Amino acid sequence: MRSKSRLYKWSVLAVVFSGLTCLFLYWLINYQPTLIPSFIVQQARQPDLMKYPEARRCAECHQDIFEAWKKSRHSVAWVSKNYIKDSEDRTKEKCLPCHIPTVVVPGVKPDPRLHQRDDGIFCVPCHVRDQVMNGPYDLFSPPHPTRKNDDYRLSKFCSTCHQKTFKEWRTTGSNQSCQSCHMKRGEGRLTQKFPLSLLHAKKEVADHSFPKGDLKKENLFIQSSFHKATLLIRLVNTTIPHRVPTADNGDPRLYVSVTFLDAAGNQVERDSAILSPQQDTALSFQKPKDLEFFAPSETQSAQIDVRYKPAWSKEKSDVTHLTVTR
Amino acid sequence: MARVFRCSIILFISLTLFSGIALAKDLIVKQPPASLDKLYPPQSKEPKWIQQMHKMSGSFGGVFVNMKEGDWVNAEKKAQAFARVYEETSKLIPEWKDYFDLKAVKEFAATVKSHDPAKIGKASAPVGKTCGKCHGEQSVAVWTRYHWPKVDKINITDPVTDKEFKYGKFMHQISGSFYGVTVNFGEGQYDRSAKALRGFKKRYMELKSTCSKCHTNDGVKQFFVGPPIAKAFDNLKKELAADKPNPGVFWKNIGTIGKLGCKKCHLTHRSYAIIQENWEAK
Repeated sequence: MRSKSRLYKWSVLAVVFSGLTCLFLYWLINYQPTLIPSFIVQQARQPDLMKYPEARRCAECHQDIFEAWKKSRHSVAWVSKNYIKDSEDRTKEKCLPCHIPTVVVPGVKPDPRLHQRDDGIFCVPCHVRDQVMNGPYDLFSPPHPTRKNDDYRLSKFCSTCHQKTFKEWRTTGSNQSCQSCHMKRGEGRLTQKFPLSLLHAKKEVADHSFPKGDLKKENLFIQSSFHKATLLIRLVNTTIPHRVPTADNGDPRLYVSVTFLDAAGNQVERDSAILSPQQDTALSFQKPKDLEFFAPSETQSAQIDVRYKPAWSKEKSDVTHLTVTR
Repeated sequence: MARVFRCSIILFISLTLFSGIALAKDLIVKQPPASLDKLYPPQSKEPKWIQQMHKMSGSFGGVFVNMKEGDWVNAEKKAQAFARVYEETSKLIPEWKDYFDLKAVKEFAATVKSHDPAKIGKASAPVGKTCGKCHGEQSVAVWTRYHWPKVDKINITDPVTDKEFKYGKFMHQISGSFYGVTVNFGEGQYDRSAKALRGFKKRYMELKSTCSKCHTNDGVKQFFVGPPIAKAFDNLKKELAADKPNPGVFWKNIGTIGKLGCKKCHLTHRSYAIIQENWEAK
């Protein structure tokens, strides 16, 4: 009985001690990391992390961010079939700096890299600079040195490669940054590797899948009317603070298709217009674009369909449609 | 000074003659050796071969610039640099090693130390000859292979039919609709001409996307597919909607599209594309 009670006491003490130790470490790591002796930190360093590791190596700790990035277009910047085709088997020099950047420095055209090309645009080019892991937080990380860098919250960071879109966005005067829509933040942990994952406080983590945002009918104002021998369609991009579609070198498109019908509902004629950045016909933010179509005399009504095609696919998705009568 | 000037003239004439000798024959444009691939993207980070050429011409030309200025210290440095880069270059493409004359280059570099423009001019001639021979026989091939992207891999979705065409076939679609405009106009079928114009304009303007497949600079689009072309299309549309279209206005605007767009683009791009097509056909 006595030995059992002693064991119980020691167990309770051990649990309390462990708990206090964890609390102390939590406080130390999150609030006073400078108190940790540097020789201990140096022991925990993993030097290969600063020598241009593969994305999979980063995933050993940052699993969630890695999984999000895998879904992004950035992760397939070098291996996407569409890119390989459009770049003539990757021989087009102009594509290389942004599809396989060595280091991304805001506003500076990157040098293309010769190694680890399959990872495309991945963790290292964006986050490792001068042998230090850069990011939006000032935090303690034993495996690698870190540096807080506010560039990661600014559109200018993205402008390194998305120059045209950045210029379009700047003219709108919007207070939303690229990251506001394409790297939305949610509460989570930066690392998933136990036990460090638990010792780091939860933070706002940006979505590294870089969603392009689906164009919806709510984003567009559309109005149409028949005139003598024409159908006029007015389109306005009402909510998106850059051109729609937008791209520096890709060729995403909005297709505005019109089917002219006679009184019996039979097709008289079909016509279409392409709105694309490469043809200088994309929709500017809150500026009306008027399209004029020739309407055959027997036309009684017209069906208008607006569809979107991203740069990397032939699939078109419906955005909106309407019917107008003469 | 007069002596230096005379020697420069002699040198210029001799280099011109050597270039002439190298080019005074039929030019056969063969594909460059595959070993050159490693000196151009994507195998190389940068276009190293052309950079190597710049290094050579910069140091070779530098000798004569300094010689003219009487700056013999820098002339000698440039001559040494040239000899070094020349030798380095001679090892890069094994198939082209016979173009290089290392003995002549060494003699040239040694002669520069004499500070005698006449002797230097004479010693430069055999070196210049090696440059001229290789350039004459290989420049066009290298430009065609590495500096002109191929169009045969470009697929274009026809904005009229929504079908995908190879670049060459798409060009036939454009010319087909172009003739739809002009032939119908000539026959007085203005409605048909107007309909063909709508298709022709869509296909023509699709080329803006095609240009952007290679060119990052929007200025190129302004050149071949820019505002004067757009204005010509608008003028044609207006004229064809008139009760009695004016042939003078019609043909003037057709001429604008033909001369500013079709012709200039073809003059710039077709020659290289034809060579590439021939290589592919092999």
